[in-house]
Amino acid sequence: MAKGMFVDTSICTGCKACQVACKEWNSLPGDPAHFRRVPDRPYRVAFNFTGDSYDNTVKLSATDWRHVRFIEQFNESRSEARWLFSSDSCKHCNDAGCLNACPVKAIVRTDMGNVFVQQDVCIGCKYCIPACPYGVISFSEKTGTVHKCTLCNDRIHNGLGTACAKACPTGSISFGEVADLRKKADARLARLKGLGFEKANIYGYNEAGGLNVFYLFMDRPSVYGQPEAPVVPQQRLMSSTAVTVASAVVVAAAAMISFRERGEKKKEEVKL
Amino acid sequence: MSFETQAPHWEWYYIAIYFFIGGVSAGAYFIGSLLELLGSDKHRQISRTAYYLAFPLICVTPVLLIADLGRPERFWHLFFYTKEGIPYMNFTSPLSVGTWALLVFGGMSLLSFLNNLIIDGRLKSPALEGLFRHVPHKVYAVIGSFFGFFVAGYTGVLLNITARPLWASTDPLIGSLFIASAASTGAAAIALVMAWQKISSRDAIKEVVVFDRVAMVFELALIAAMIVVAGRYSAPLSKGLYGLIFWGGTVVIGILLPLGLYWYGRRPGAAGVSLTALAAVLVLFGGAMLRIAIVQAGQLQ
Ligand code: SF4
Repeated sequence: MAKGMFVDTSICTGCKACQVACKEWNSLPGDPAHFRRVPDRPYRVAFNFTGDSYDNTVKLSATDWRHVRFIEQFNESRSEARWLFSSDSCKHCNDAGCLNACPVKAIVRTDMGNVFVQQDVCIGCKYCIPACPYGVISFSEKTGTVHKCTLCNDRIHNGLGTACAKACPTGSISFGEVADLRKKADARLARLKGLGFEKANIYGYNEAGGLNVFYLFMDRPSVYGQPEAPVVPQQRLMSSTAVTVASAVVVAAAAMISFRERGEKKKEEVKL
Repeated sequence: MSFETQAPHWEWYYIAIYFFIGGVSAGAYFIGSLLELLGSDKHRQISRTAYYLAFPLICVTPVLLIADLGRPERFWHLFFYTKEGIPYMNFTSPLSVGTWALLVFGGMSLLSFLNNLIIDGRLKSPALEGLFRHVPHKVYAVIGSFFGFFVAGYTGVLLNITARPLWASTDPLIGSLFIASAASTGAAAIALVMAWQKISSRDAIKEVVVFDRVAMVFELALIAAMIVVAGRYSAPLSKGLYGLIFWGGTVVIGILLPLGLYWYGRRPGAAGVSLTALAAVLVLFGGAMLRIAIVQAGQLQ
């Protein structure tokens, strides 16, 4: 009975209501603008905001748990354009790299299937950060711990849906049982294909053991900034360990040979 | 547009240097215990030096590790899950298993350290002497060596088991590379101390040097394999500051040059001990540069 979200990017309008709702519900501060001189402008610009895109944060961070990605494809003369939007967050992977990597059990899966960081356990070792194949989980200097979307852990355990899904005015984000959401997604995909959108696809049925937060994209996942074939790093753990052990054996054998041989040679010399 | 993973922003002066010092300690300990097990008197000098090096060095490492934590005061959560009040280890996390290994290795290297102090008559305590006579020192030498290898190698596996392009694409070779480097830098540290003290025969140093040479050749082979395996993802190791550190600092100054020096030092009449000492310093430098290059280049955006 895992809960999750289905993000239908085909009906996202890029209004960022979800981004705002997330910040409000979770009391996440906005980043103040940091100004700096850049080469070809006479004035100082806020370098931590894009300034040349409707995409404001560009990425997820410790205080941006939701991010509406704007894919702005314009030709040189700007006569032709394609605008794609996709609201991104933690995917709450069924095989979660961050959770596998956590050495202190700060990252846990709750009974509703969401991946949750226990702030009072996290030691800030930061090992989960490179272990997430999606670059989601982030460190905060302020708290000394890592943060990410909780799937509104407090809300869903009290009978509510996620704040972003609640705020979404077009129904692009829906919250519910993953099994139900998949049925909805399949129906929507069939309809879009019927309308001639050949490239439409669903992302997240098989990736990382299945994503509890999954997407319907109108183009390849890489266009939306998602890896086409994400690998949960721990899948390589056995092979990596085996090779390392083999090398340790080689080094040990080399040591035995180099110290033994020498010893024997010396003995021979003594005999002579 | 491409997807991005995030870098952990580990500081080189904590994490990369920890990888280096942990490797030197583990490498030295392994050599010391192997020679103790082979058990010839001639090697006694080498294994004492090794044990005197291993424990103080490993004592430095927790300080570096804890200093890099966001919440240093909670470091003990690595051993103890507070919510359930039970000891904790995560088998899918090299960081978790490695921390426990570090604890065991630290314990074993302390035992070997104390044992040597007693044998050398520097620690005069009848109670301890009696205790150490009853614990067979070969047992903890074997356990310590095993966990020493673990300490030397897990740091590489830890990097391989991430989604960062450089670290993921070099899988499964960084663990092996770090083990080879640990063996080589461990041997170099022993040779350096022995040369420094001038109390040991040139023969004893020579044997350490022979092993160091073998380890360095193995290391070189692993570096070549790693570059091939990583393909285009090895780019961060070949350009900019980390390219310089890796190819210049590690490969040329840290491996090729000392190999040459060791080789040259073999000839009769060569400057011998001082040449060996110089080569050992270069090997140690190269080992530190290797960790810095791989840890930091993997974190470039
Ligand atoms: S998307 Fe990243 S942070 Fe979220 S559960 Fe998966 S591995 Fe963890």
